Amino acid sequence: MVSVKLVNVTKVFRGGVVGVKDINLVIEHGEFMALLGPSGSGKSTTLYLIAGIYKPTRGRIFFGDKDVTKLPPRERNVGLVFQNWALYPHMKVFDNIAFPLRLRKIPESEIRKRVVSVARMLRIDGLLDRYPWQLSGGQQQRVAMARALAKEPDVLLLDEPMSNLDAVLRISVRAELKRLQRELGITTIYVTHDQAEALAMADRIALINEGSIVQIGTPSEVYGKPRTVFVGGFLGNPPMNFLEATVGYVEDKPILVIGNNKLRVPDHYEELVRKLGLNQVIVGIRPEDMGIMDKPVPYRTIRAQVYAVEPMGRETIVVAEVDGSQVKIVTSKSIVLREDQDIHLYPSFEKIVLFDPKTEKALEVLYEEEKLE
Amino acid sequence: MPGMRDVEVRSRASEALILLVILAVSLPLITGYSLLILSGFSKSMVTNLDPSSFYPTLMNWILLLQGRTAQFAGIRVNIWGIVANTLVVALGVSALVTLVGSLTGYAVSRMNFAGRKHIMMLLILLHAFPGSVLVVGVAFIYRMFMPPLEYIRFYSFFYVIVARAAIEIPMATWLMKGFFDMIPWEIEWSAIVDGASRFRVWWNVLLPMIKPGVAAVMLFGFLAGWMDLIYVRTFLVDRTLATFIEANAEAEYAYLPLVAVAGTLYLLPTIIFFIAAQRLIFTISVSGIKG
Repeated sequence: MVSVKLVNVTKVFRGGVVGVKDINLVIEHGEFMALLGPSGSGKSTTLYLIAGIYKPTRGRIFFGDKDVTKLPPRERNVGLVFQNWALYPHMKVFDNIAFPLRLRKIPESEIRKRVVSVARMLRIDGLLDRYPWQLSGGQQQRVAMARALAKEPDVLLLDEPMSNLDAVLRISVRAELKRLQRELGITTIYVTHDQAEALAMADRIALINEGSIVQIGTPSEVYGKPRTVFVGGFLGNPPMNFLEATVGYVEDKPILVIGNNKLRVPDHYEELVRKLGLNQVIVGIRPEDMGIMDKPVPYRTIRAQVYAVEPMGRETIVVAEVDGSQVKIVTSKSIVLREDQDIHLYPSFEKIVLFDPKTEKALEVLYEEEKLE
Repeated sequence: MPGMRDVEVRSRASEALILLVILAVSLPLITGYSLLILSGFSKSMVTNLDPSSFYPTLMNWILLLQGRTAQFAGIRVNIWGIVANTLVVALGVSALVTLVGSLTGYAVSRMNFAGRKHIMMLLILLHAFPGSVLVVGVAFIYRMFMPPLEYIRFYSFFYVIVARAAIEIPMATWLMKGFFDMIPWEIEWSAIVDGASRFRVWWNVLLPMIKPGVAAVMLFGFLAGWMDLIYVRTFLVDRTLATFIEANAEAEYAYLPLVAVAGTLYLLPTIIFFIAAQRLIFTISVSGIKG
């Protein structure tokens, strides 16, 4: 098992389409890394570059200390599971799992042992005599996993392996896969567009958008401290709320003006707002970081009208309008609200993230970058 | 509701009309084939759909299998030798067409190389050439590498097979390309990541997935070889069924019911294989994986 390192990796396809540009990424030994992004963002391209299916136009890829940039896929010892699982339809389950082992000229008795043990681990040892088309989706997924694991790969690459499963099955497989990865301690890279999967399973998440990595961090880091508007809007269900605000000053203290509301600037941002001298900011607040009150509190609440109430069972999502734009509030309380009723939103100030409207970057990120220049 | 009709279902009247048109178009062919087959079982040719000209007998088949071309002249021909020759040509063409067609089809479908588009266009162009054009070229090669005369009988098979296959390969390549195109890339990538070479991917993973396609190409190759007249007549020292029938049909003393029997024998694999090929082509399914 090894670490994987991508250094300035760029892939330009024939015809000039840029797949990924300047990817720098380190996946530690035994780590579970999720590559998360919308479709067409370049996350699968990154995975295929690591697998060796694509060759990078520029940059280098390392497995441990070994430069594998020019190595063909079969010399990289990676296990790969595709979204459609790509089982060989004319081979029985046993032969599917044994296929990579047979190519390595491993003795047949050893192959038998390995296939049976990996099949037992994934609980498909009763299906070895069947053909792929005789299996359910969940079973096919397990066979694909078994085939990838049977050759004892250094790196396990998973390309949306669960998006063809139904919702209920996906959640149960999720926990199982996480557990399996921990037990095997195998370096794993998991491509997904489903933020819930990434948050639930990964040690770290790399968010990719338009071919570039936007943010790398633990699930709580990328969720709590998004570096850009994109990250805040992509993670979370419902995603982060964004409100446009102008910066004003009252008695030399900066305040945020949202429509007719005046809001104090969170303590950790006071310095930054002053230093950057911005006139406009975007206020990012997570739906669960806002309370609902009947009465306004000066500089602490935002006035809003109830647009709709969505009871979800465990929680209630309140959709409200603030100065013409919609915000969502997740509340556990079973409060009774009428449509068009006036309410006052009380955000948790320590959890607010402020963004620069021009670059769409969080103020702290912007400040760091300016300091570097 | 009155006036409402399911758009998917044609009315009975239009269905009957379509059937009628198909029948009318194929009537001359059906008539021709049935008269030919009937004549083989008759003492004289059955013509003009006249039942009084049909005198049932098995004599023609017995004569054919004894190798006699004419009932009274009694010239003996080794009919089994002729069938064997035909088989050699047909199987040879079939094997060569399938091998070259499936390899080229894979390359054109899956590999990126300079001139790939031009090769594809050239293939269509080649298919448009009539067989007679190649006769000159083959004759030229024949002259250049003249085999020793005592073996020329055997060498001549080689020329016929290669020439006929050359005509069939463009179409076979396109057919195979179509089949390879249907296989998802992930299957191939999977096999490559698993450690297979491109050749192994082709042989162990892709070909078994498109068995019906391979079979179809084999059949078309076989039929092409079986039915070939132009190269067999020009280059082959021995006769095949096609040239045997041709020679008999031309002969002045020809006993036509016997030719009809030979013709029936000649048609047999064509009919069998077209029925088989039809089945194959309609039951082709590539992935076999549930979505």
